[in-house]
Amino acid sequence: MAIAERGYTHWQGTLGTGRKPWRVIAGQSIRLAWKRKYFKLAFFGALFPALFFAGGIYVSERISDFKEMMRGAEKFLQINPAYFQAYFGSSFLLFMMMVIMVGAGAGLISDDLRHNALPLYFSRPLRKRDYIGGKFASLAFFLLLLTLAPGLIFIVLKLIFAGSFKLLADYPWLPFSFIGWSIFLSSFLSLYTLLLSSLGRNRRFTSILILAVYFLSTAFFGIFFGIFHEPAFCLISIEMNLRQLSAALMGAKPLFNVPWIYSLLVLSAIMGASILVLRKKIRGTEVIR
Amino acid sequence: MNGNGLTIRAEKLGKWYGNVLGLSDISIEIGPGITGLLGPNGAGKSTFMKLITGQLRPSIGTVTIGGRPVWNNPEIFRRVGFCPEQDAFYDDMTGREFLAGLLGLYGYGPSEVKERADRALDFVELTEAADRMIRGYSRGMRQRLKISQSLAHEPEILILDEPLNGLDPLSKRKVIRLIKEYRTEGRTVLVSSHVLPEIEALTQSIVLVHQGKILAEGDIHHIRGLIDTHPHIVEVRTEDARKLAVRFAGEADVLSVKFDEAEGTVLFETRNRDRFFERLTRTAAGEDLDIEEITSPDDNLQSVFDYLVGK
Repeated sequence: MAIAERGYTHWQGTLGTGRKPWRVIAGQSIRLAWKRKYFKLAFFGALFPALFFAGGIYVSERISDFKEMMRGAEKFLQINPAYFQAYFGSSFLLFMMMVIMVGAGAGLISDDLRHNALPLYFSRPLRKRDYIGGKFASLAFFLLLLTLAPGLIFIVLKLIFAGSFKLLADYPWLPFSFIGWSIFLSSFLSLYTLLLSSLGRNRRFTSILILAVYFLSTAFFGIFFGIFHEPAFCLISIEMNLRQLSAALMGAKPLFNVPWIYSLLVLSAIMGASILVLRKKIRGTEVIR
Repeated sequence: MNGNGLTIRAEKLGKWYGNVLGLSDISIEIGPGITGLLGPNGAGKSTFMKLITGQLRPSIGTVTIGGRPVWNNPEIFRRVGFCPEQDAFYDDMTGREFLAGLLGLYGYGPSEVKERADRALDFVELTEAADRMIRGYSRGMRQRLKISQSLAHEPEILILDEPLNGLDPLSKRKVIRLIKEYRTEGRTVLVSSHVLPEIEALTQSIVLVHQGKILAEGDIHHIRGLIDTHPHIVEVRTEDARKLAVRFAGEADVLSVKFDEAEGTVLFETRNRDRFFERLTRTAAGEDLDIEEITSPDDNLQSVFDYLVGK
């Protein structure tokens, strides 16, 4: 048998140009996150509140059937903006979102930095905005599944179970609030996670940072509020700012007597700072050799 | 797709890291064929590679590929392949996923991505390991995977930073053959290394960088010929070693003569190699000397490197 000469056969086809590189980055990041051991568990755990609230919508329309079981819960089962605010502004949902961010986002940039993958990315037809956009989209994808998707399903379920458009007639702005809040919350948490992920090369360090900043800001708020009884200290807490803003967008009563616009400004400032830092850090591959 | 002779051009290129000089006043044109970028550690090779792959912004000067600026111009990288020196892998991915993910960035459709990935993996003989996690790859396998990602989109310009590091001899030969194949297709290949025999096995055309500056560029032998400060060494193996030594000892351009009668060799140091060889040929023919072998021990990359870097 003769020894065959093996060489590289060159591609004769045409070069594709239609695909957006950020989509590739996003798809890859989503697949990587989904492959992680505990991520699926955390994600489905985060969907529990949505199932609970969806069940509440059903029960609210069949309250007479559940009269014995639901005694005293009639007030809670009034489907109005406050009901949805209880879902979107719940501490548990926000906590689960942070867990999702740790699972899906802690290593998004820090792993690239650790593995020196940036030269591989940027020696390809990929812009910085494609890279950041792709990473951002992967996180926003998971977050929108926990906010926008349940929100829209809530409305559809209410319309189906009630058999009327009364909810939309009474609160025509509600779907827009769901969309606006979901997009804002997803954008904020995605940028927050990417910012912290870009600050180190160690996924564990980033994971701790993501949770620590979130919980410590609330802890400090608790301490200062406990000492000074000044509600304006809610502005130093990421969680309280988010809950203030969600209440404002859902037309519900805010937790603290502080104008919601301040919370919007604080959160927007963090987002702006995140974008600036990311733009600075992502090209920061200058290694003196 | 045949190469159309894309050229890398640097003009008055300089890079500083704060007060530290990376590169200074580099003007060079690297055309089709294989060019070896040589230099000791810290010479500025990696800085140069990063500048021409758009990872670093020049402090001064410009870098163009095919006449188009490299910095902030990602589209140029459809025609450029880059193999970085450092490992750059997600250990939780399989080799195929790694390659497919990077190929996707070029805008290829799924079938084309698969075809290209399969072909590149086959070429570097990683087909069987393609669906294994990268964390289980050996050093050589990782290096081959890294090379495959730089070739999979079949670039017209291939930039390889220390590509043979960690490869076993068989893989080295394979990669060297591949790189040479690119040369035959009129493509531009730039290979950096501090291992001189590796470069010598690939090309005679070098760019020698030292302390951020280009010390020499061009053909190794031509450069050697230009180094007047170091006389050329010529070793002649003959049975008439003593006679040959005496015959040349009086010539003005011959600086020293050493002969080893037991070994049957004479070692000449000459300032004018062309005149020396002309005279040697004439003498051998006229005086009927039996010359078995003529070699130039310092007409190689190592000597050029040592002389220019000042070792």
